Amino acid sequence: MLALRRVQPWAVGFAQRSATKQVALASTAVDTDGSHSQSSGEPVAPQKHPRAIRTRRPRISLQHPREWNRPLAFGVLPAFDEALKVIKEDSMALKDEVTALEGAIAREKETPQPDQHALRMMEDKLRILEVQSEINFPQVRWKCANGMADMSKAVDRHLLEQRWRKEGALDLLMERIHQMKVVPDVLPDIHPSLDLRVNFPKVKSNAGLQATVSKAVYEHVEPGVFLLPEQTVEPPKIYTTVFHPEERLYTLLMIDPDFPDETNKTFQTYLHWLQPNIPLSSVSPSPVPNLNTHTAYIPPHPQRGTNYHRYTVLLLPQHSRLSIHMVAKDKRTGFDVRAFMEKHGLDKNVGGGVHMWREVWSEGVPAVYKEILKTAEPKFGRMPKADRYGDFRGKKRYV
Amino acid sequence: MSVSVLKSNGLPSQLRGLRARLYSTRKGEVSSSDPQKDILRRHLYPPNIRNKASPTGTWRPDVARALQRAIPSVQAHETIERAWLLHQRHLRKKRDAELQRKFNCMRQAMQELEEIDSRLFREANKQEDPRARSLAEVEAMKSMSEPEKRAVESRVGGLFPRELRIPTDTPPKNGWPNEWRAFQRPLA
Repeated sequence: MLALRRVQPWAVGFAQRSATKQVALASTAVDTDGSHSQSSGEPVAPQKHPRAIRTRRPRISLQHPREWNRPLAFGVLPAFDEALKVIKEDSMALKDEVTALEGAIAREKETPQPDQHALRMMEDKLRILEVQSEINFPQVRWKCANGMADMSKAVDRHLLEQRWRKEGALDLLMERIHQMKVVPDVLPDIHPSLDLRVNFPKVKSNAGLQATVSKAVYEHVEPGVFLLPEQTVEPPKIYTTVFHPEERLYTLLMIDPDFPDETNKTFQTYLHWLQPNIPLSSVSPSPVPNLNTHTAYIPPHPQRGTNYHRYTVLLLPQHSRLSIHMVAKDKRTGFDVRAFMEKHGLDKNVGGGVHMWREVWSEGVPAVYKEILKTAEPKFGRMPKADRYGDFRGKKRYV
Repeated sequence: MSVSVLKSNGLPSQLRGLRARLYSTRKGEVSSSDPQKDILRRHLYPPNIRNKASPTGTWRPDVARALQRAIPSVQAHETIERAWLLHQRHLRKKRDAELQRKFNCMRQAMQELEEIDSRLFREANKQEDPRARSLAEVEAMKSMSEPEKRAVESRVGGLFPRELRIPTDTPPKNGWPNEWRAFQRPLA
């Protein structure tokens, strides 16, 4: 394996080049909005060597699309030409099988008593064959690896899902969710089935009393990192990569499980945002629109003196359209996520999406209390210790 | 980086190709004349140019260039890999299908035999131990010479007889072997 030492640029660059899908965090469906986080962004100056290895990834995406070209001309590598022939033959054979199977399914559906089990098996097989017939083509794989996947095609959806699951993005998310104990505290468990990404405005400068935050440039948030309350005043841009072609309804929840509960001297759950009946499919627009029409977004306001707060965003799948009452601004505390899910039939085992980040009090929080919550800002600290020698202070000791 | 005192084959790695860079020798002075001086010099003034791969292989800067020569295009490499695995999968599936077909034919044949003749069916189902020796064989082996014993032991039971003549369209060129006598193998 290539080492991690600070070495000559061309040695480092190859590690990035040899894995064309090495986009651990950023996804292929590009989160447009100003800054586009470069995946393997280690800008290295090219070597003085006459034929330096290109270390930077070429800027190909939906915004700068490029057509696929053969990596090698015909005749340069006979094995490659032969490979393309084999793949093409296999694909044609599979496509014939697909048409035959589609005919069989249609015939089975026309019978007076269709066998449901056999139909389901045939439909599963059809889906697998459709993906297998195209997955070996270099142009298909290249498009998916470079952000130009067509989500209406089963192959592209499959490739993107494999990439999200196998190349580190999901693993990182689940690591943060479990290490920050979001999973036992907010939900008993969650197994995401869609890629949920959250973008908040970028911090322009940390100098001075309050940090200045960009108005237009939104940046991708890695799960688990610390954000400033100044960044999270406006609702985030939620980007999703959904892997099912049909439209399903989801509920968006934003929870703070570390809201202090003074009366019980413990913590309680605070509901920051609730939006039910969001229609999502693989071709739905990204970022998700119309998210602030139900229970309005209240920006995170970690209290002064408390430890860091974990803010969790959940996208839970619904079975059918739900009618949920709007939660008033002063009734946001004491929200029971488990009871809510059970009441409305939101099943965590079916999938969904999750994301989390952390925040700590900063100079931007008083503004949130003053303008949005319109309550006095609490300040937490330790209880004052009883003065043991209060009686003896000021009195003469040696009489 | 720990200095290896053990000698590898030929010159130690630190000296290989570093003769010109040993700053502790004067120009023209051949360093391989006195190995003791070499060893002393090497340990007093260890070479500090770090551009070769580390001894245990944790850092290999030379791999990238070699790989780039061997695999000019990553996309092509992956395509070839996938095509090869696909080809192997087709072969495997064909072999498995043929094996399955033969097994089914055998099973069908045995089912029919069971219906026709149950004694033959039982005989056909018997598992034969290839190393088993019948009493007659053991008796006969006692009075055999070494080569004869070897001939008896080397034949594994349960197989088609080796001398079985494959039917041909035309008679054999050398005619019928009238003088041939089979080796008398003691049977059960």
